[in-house]
Amino acid sequence: MTPSPGRSRAALTLVGLAAALALAIVAGVAFGAVRIPPAEVIAAVSRALTGHGGGLADAVVVDLRLPRVLLAALVGASLALAGVLYQALFKNALADPYILGVSSGAGLGATLALAALGTSYAARAVGVPVGAFVGAALTMLLVVQLASRRGRLDPTSLLLAGIAVSYTLSALTSFVLVYDRETMTSVVFWMMGGLQNRSWQHVGMLALMFSAGAVVPALFHRELDLMLLGDERAGQLGVSVERFKLVMLASASLVVAGAVSVSGLIGFVGLMTPHMVRLVIGPRHRLLLPASVLAGAIVLVIADLLARVVLAPVEIPVGIVTALAGGPFFIWLLVRKEHRR
Amino acid sequence: MSALTFAATTVGYGPKPVVRDAIFTVGAGEFVGLVGPNGAGKSTLLRAVTGSADVISGDITLGDASALRMADRDRARVVGVVPQTPVPLFAFPARAFVEMGRNPHLSRLGSLGAADHRIVDEAMARTDTAHLAAEPVDELSGGDLQRLTLAQALAQQPRVLLLDEPTSHLDLNHALQVLDLVRSLADDGMAVLGVFHDLEIAARYADRIAIVADGRLRPPVPPVEALDASTIAEIFGVRAVVRTDPVTGTVGITPVLRDADLAGERTGETVGVVCGSGTGASFMRQLAKAGHGVFAGALNRGDVDHAVAEAIGAGRVDLPPFGEIGEADERTTREGYERSACVIVCETPFGRPNLPNLRAALGSGRPLVLIGQMAEARDFTGGQARQLWDEALSRGAERVDSESEALEALARRLGTEA
Repeated sequence: MTPSPGRSRAALTLVGLAAALALAIVAGVAFGAVRIPPAEVIAAVSRALTGHGGGLADAVVVDLRLPRVLLAALVGASLALAGVLYQALFKNALADPYILGVSSGAGLGATLALAALGTSYAARAVGVPVGAFVGAALTMLLVVQLASRRGRLDPTSLLLAGIAVSYTLSALTSFVLVYDRETMTSVVFWMMGGLQNRSWQHVGMLALMFSAGAVVPALFHRELDLMLLGDERAGQLGVSVERFKLVMLASASLVVAGAVSVSGLIGFVGLMTPHMVRLVIGPRHRLLLPASVLAGAIVLVIADLLARVVLAPVEIPVGIVTALAGGPFFIWLLVRKEHRR
Repeated sequence: MSALTFAATTVGYGPKPVVRDAIFTVGAGEFVGLVGPNGAGKSTLLRAVTGSADVISGDITLGDASALRMADRDRARVVGVVPQTPVPLFAFPARAFVEMGRNPHLSRLGSLGAADHRIVDEAMARTDTAHLAAEPVDELSGGDLQRLTLAQALAQQPRVLLLDEPTSHLDLNHALQVLDLVRSLADDGMAVLGVFHDLEIAARYADRIAIVADGRLRPPVPPVEALDASTIAEIFGVRAVVRTDPVTGTVGITPVLRDADLAGERTGETVGVVCGSGTGASFMRQLAKAGHGVFAGALNRGDVDHAVAEAIGAGRVDLPPFGEIGEADERTTREGYERSACVIVCETPFGRPNLPNLRAALGSGRPLVLIGQMAEARDFTGGQARQLWDEALSRGAERVDSESEALEALARRLGTEA
């Protein structure tokens, strides 16, 4: 009995996805107001890496396009990771950071941090992600609390609570923005889910938060599998369920906070991506986690590319692109579930 | 040393107790069955061992350690559970599903080694699920899933196995296969505690049976002692005939009536029945269900009709097994029939020992209804039974061909609708 055929297929899947992501990134950098040939993109990046960079064309690639595309990849990866975690912990195929209200919570936390600390560099660099994390974590606790009846988490209640909380927190965010007009202008476009004017600092911060949030789930992929059998069964097979959930929800909140801090509210990536990946490779998290992370990155890089080129030179917030694709997908899932009963 | 001990344990959910002060042990190599009415708390007792239900007071120990203070991972290396079939929503391949049982044995970064794979192979072979290895579990039948869940529990290599209705989704063949397997696991030294609804299955496979009812647990005793007719009547509200099953040699239980069937208004009319050797069992059951009192004549202990008469609380004269009806018995029997509104003679074979029943019926002077014919095959008295039969007919007894006709005749005579 050797598990090697499965293992080599898994490796193949991941290599394929990584290659696709590399292609998407090159395409993302190449397209824009000025089109840059892919070969030139790669040349510019390698010049920058070897310290021979210079010139306006290189600056467009390295300082403007590349950080934005990498940021899109990291945001997509973060949202997909959070989606995988929520779907496993809640045994709910419709769970994602946007629908559960966690994104709105992170958005409110970030907005409050901005309003309180002003638009100084420190506020943006530290206050926003910390505020987003606190907002995300508190919202998650609130939604779980609202959806629990005598210690049981009802799937429908979870979605309803998430959506209700999401609306309330979005309204609160708008209220803060109206109240504090100074913050408003800088925040509104961000809240709609956009990736404009992002720098390498944002990339660094998000990379840090994503890595911190991803390492624990990666170590506990077996327990995530067990959680799909239900809390009670997972406990019988040796998982300390309550503690495990808390750690995983903290990880998810961290990556959602990171994503929201740099790009505002981008919906449905966390819902769609794990679903599509699961349909292809099955539910085992050892493969599902890395594959969803890569797929989420690909999805958002492409969505951002579309956001930039569809109405060029006008740019659409990327959240609108993902919502246009994700809304119908969500409805399809709902309808299919109804039919199964 | 006992593998699993409930030490005056009160279990429940939150502060609300379900079963109070349960005291019992399950030893290594022992199979204990838990039976009782729905909602009595059998599953709650099982669930308390793995922390899914609350222990309100007392303790549960596994070997010499308290289950309540063990880490989940450590406990999962000792206790395997087969819950009432879970419903997985996700398409794990069956083998991956069984491999999950190895989880408590694996290190954080480790994956399944050759030894783990051997254990999984064996668990699947023993549960007859090896051929399902590649199937996604969300497409399997409830029975396959139940056996895979047992395989998953076996992959844990537990010393204690907890079963909650382990055969509820299984066909007869697989149910026996699974229970034979569990029995052999116990014989190899595993401690098994299983919840069962089927009393005969529990009696057949368990060494001892504990009854859970009314928030209490009766400590486990051998099946024959645990499941007598009066206990079954008390716990389940069912009048049953309990005997030794001639094939399995274990407790055989035939439910006769529910208490609720007897609780209806009695018509007040007692009906006499001449029966024996099981010829009156079904008829007496129908009479009792229709609300009649019954007098069943003189019957031998061990006779099915005696057991049924006892179950429905019929008047009767008790004889020792194979005992004859003596003169005093015959007098008492006749008096019983005299108090009846009518006497029905079932298709009972008559020999010298039980002929007095027929004579007493005739002597009672009550109206008689005779079922069937007095054929030679029924008459082991050298014609005496035939003589009494003919005499009854000549005195106006009514002869019918079946039990249902007898019920109609009875209704007519008593002036009530059938």
